[in-house]
Amino acid sequence: MTQQARTGRLPGDAPPAPAQADRRAGLGIDSLLEGAWDLLTSMKFGVIVILILAGLGLLGSVIIQAPAGVAADPAAMNDWLAEIAPKIVPGVEFIQGIPVVGALMPTIRYGDVSGLFQTLQLYTIFDSIWFRSLAAVLTASLVACSSHRLPGLWKSATKPHVAIGEAFFTHAPQHEFISVKGSSEEIQGRVGKVLKKHHYRVVSEDDGVVHLYGDKFRWGPFGTVIGHLSLVVILAGAIVGSMFGFRDNGFVVAEGSTVPVATDDGISVELIQFQDAYYTDTGAPADYASDVVVYQDGTEVAHQTVRVNEPLRYGGLSFYQSFYGPAAAMSVAGTDGTALFEDGVPLAWSDGDSGRRVGTFLIPGSGLTVWVIGTAGTGDTVVAPGQMRVEVYQSDGTPVAGETIDQGDTVEVAGYDFTFHREMQFTGLSVSRDPGTPLVWLGSGLMIAGFVLVLMFPHRRIWGRLVTRPGGRGTLSLAGAGRRDVGSNTEFTDLVTEIRAAFTTPTGA
Amino acid sequence: MYKMSEYAFIAAIMATGLALLLYLAYALSGLRAARMQTAGTGARTGILAFAAGPRTAALGRYATILGWLGFAFLSAWLVFRTIATGHGPFANMYEFSVSFAWGILGAYYWFEHRYHQRILGLFALPVALALMFYATTIPSEVEPLVPALQNNLLLSVHVAVAIVAYGSFTIAAAAALLYLIQPEGGRWGLPKPEVLDEIGYKAIVVGFPFLTAVIVLGAIWADVAWGRYWSWDPKETASLVTWLIYGAYLHARVVRNWRGRKSAYLLLVGFGATLFTYFGNLWFGGLHSYSGLG
Repeated sequence: MTQQARTGRLPGDAPPAPAQADRRAGLGIDSLLEGAWDLLTSMKFGVIVILILAGLGLLGSVIIQAPAGVAADPAAMNDWLAEIAPKIVPGVEFIQGIPVVGALMPTIRYGDVSGLFQTLQLYTIFDSIWFRSLAAVLTASLVACSSHRLPGLWKSATKPHVAIGEAFFTHAPQHEFISVKGSSEEIQGRVGKVLKKHHYRVVSEDDGVVHLYGDKFRWGPFGTVIGHLSLVVILAGAIVGSMFGFRDNGFVVAEGSTVPVATDDGISVELIQFQDAYYTDTGAPADYASDVVVYQDGTEVAHQTVRVNEPLRYGGLSFYQSFYGPAAAMSVAGTDGTALFEDGVPLAWSDGDSGRRVGTFLIPGSGLTVWVIGTAGTGDTVVAPGQMRVEVYQSDGTPVAGETIDQGDTVEVAGYDFTFHREMQFTGLSVSRDPGTPLVWLGSGLMIAGFVLVLMFPHRRIWGRLVTRPGGRGTLSLAGAGRRDVGSNTEFTDLVTEIRAAFTTPTGA
Repeated sequence: MYKMSEYAFIAAIMATGLALLLYLAYALSGLRAARMQTAGTGARTGILAFAAGPRTAALGRYATILGWLGFAFLSAWLVFRTIATGHGPFANMYEFSVSFAWGILGAYYWFEHRYHQRILGLFALPVALALMFYATTIPSEVEPLVPALQNNLLLSVHVAVAIVAYGSFTIAAAAALLYLIQPEGGRWGLPKPEVLDEIGYKAIVVGFPFLTAVIVLGAIWADVAWGRYWSWDPKETASLVTWLIYGAYLHARVVRNWRGRKSAYLLLVGFGATLFTYFGNLWFGGLHSYSGLG
């Protein structure tokens, strides 16, 4: 990926790899380590690993992936598998939509492949052993490559090989000979002037023969190292995030309720109001807005309208607008009139078969769980619009009683007075704290900077060898490092042309 | 403004279509002249020089002018549509497709200006034209933005950067294709393999950092709108796959035995991944479902 490797073995480059003979000398841990090192620093190996990762990524974008958290829970995973059964492979789901894709995979059916896919961890590719170990190998490889290359890059930038043997000037991929006139200093001055005009650094050595060296963008190749190591920084950010981060993608609050965040730092969130707006002409959603107050140990610390592109950030936590739905304002009282529960109940789940929205709460001190079931719409005969159904269960799941309540009514269920005050809305927020994010952004910035540096500022080098004979005549040999890079070829030829011109124009001074 | 943008779009299709015809005529005329030349000397085995006689050169010039005109009309479309919608015209499949075509033409003319290889136009322009024709088949109404897209700055920058990257990748693929259809050493007066290799590389030199920026900007946006910088959304993943392939290309190009043809194949694979990333959300769903195609 760098200019260095492309120019082959040129003066000032990293020393060649140790001789084969040395490596084969002993068997054992040393040779094993050396073999691993050779493998990790091999560009070919790197390319192969990258391509396999790309292949896995492709699978991951084609095969529907299990949502985060589902894979860890076998029951949830089974439910999810049943749910995605018809669309596991796009070919099946889209036979009507895109027949070509369907035709390509006519034989793949859920039953045939699901077990295999699960065994191969294809539903969780990015958490799979394949992906993780390959990513680890790639990381090791790019750390190895970078440390392998750094000394050579450093040497080539700071202590370039200036005095080169004559043979180089006849074998270099680009070379020219120019007949020159004048004293050695004069000639060097002219050549140096041309090079400096092109922002080259000029170094010369004199050991009887004058050696000239010019280069620019000598820090460009370091972009390789920056670009590669930035990936390690990003990866570190991801690991920090997954180890020390917090995430709740299903944080629901009904209007008027206050719900604590499941971190230990005493933060709770109140939803004042949720509003969804739609474009009148198309019916497409226009806005989802949650008016939210954040409390720290009961004290208000932040108040903001959270929108899809406007998260609320407080104390390292971020609150994002994620979803929304209906909620029921419920209250429960004992038959003696003592209020036991009064809050908004988010109907955050949906009952797959009936399409009804469902929410739940506990009656404090009773060990009873209450399910609140909303209407499925105008055609629903069990729970009509404007009604809410309440079903009470014991903690072991035994049903106790159930009633449907009209809005504003109070009904006795299982020995408690249930009141359905009104329907309202809840908001679903994603709450997260990711201490790895700064590392990810740092790595991203470094990556772009590194790539721009190495790709757009390739190290340009030119060598010269000046042999002067008595009488003020001499030969200047010039050689460049460009080989396949046509751009660098023109750079070299342009320089040579200019240097030539500098010697054909009459001496002004 | 909406009307103006429509007119500009139609004009761009016509100009680009004509330009493509002229590029075809240019290629045929050049090849014919070359064949006549070699037939005269009796040399049939050597490398043909693509003979740019006055007629061919004139055709080439007109092709370039018309192509530039197409690019200019698309630029006008871009401006009018931006004014009409109030954001960069990148919010649905129609807008993105036309912008993609704009990116291809822009990238192509940059390379034509720099390397004077008009034959490449024969491969690049059809892609741009196909995207424009595709755009005519899908709804082009200006729709208000859904909440997730309501971030003008990031929408405009994220997708604008993507268009530069995709445009460059198209040119790289065109160069790779031209590289691969020639036997070793070059033939038929087509651009020299070294030049094509150089064009392909230079296109990636631009495209790869831009694609990196697309992904990073996407991650920043995802962090703002979706609450996490990376969620393995299919389109995200596909762009990562594309990035990996071009990354592999940059490395393969400096491996001794993988220079040349193998690297050129990777450019084609990379372009396939680019198209997959581009069209993928039409059928794999996910968070990037903004195509406006239901």
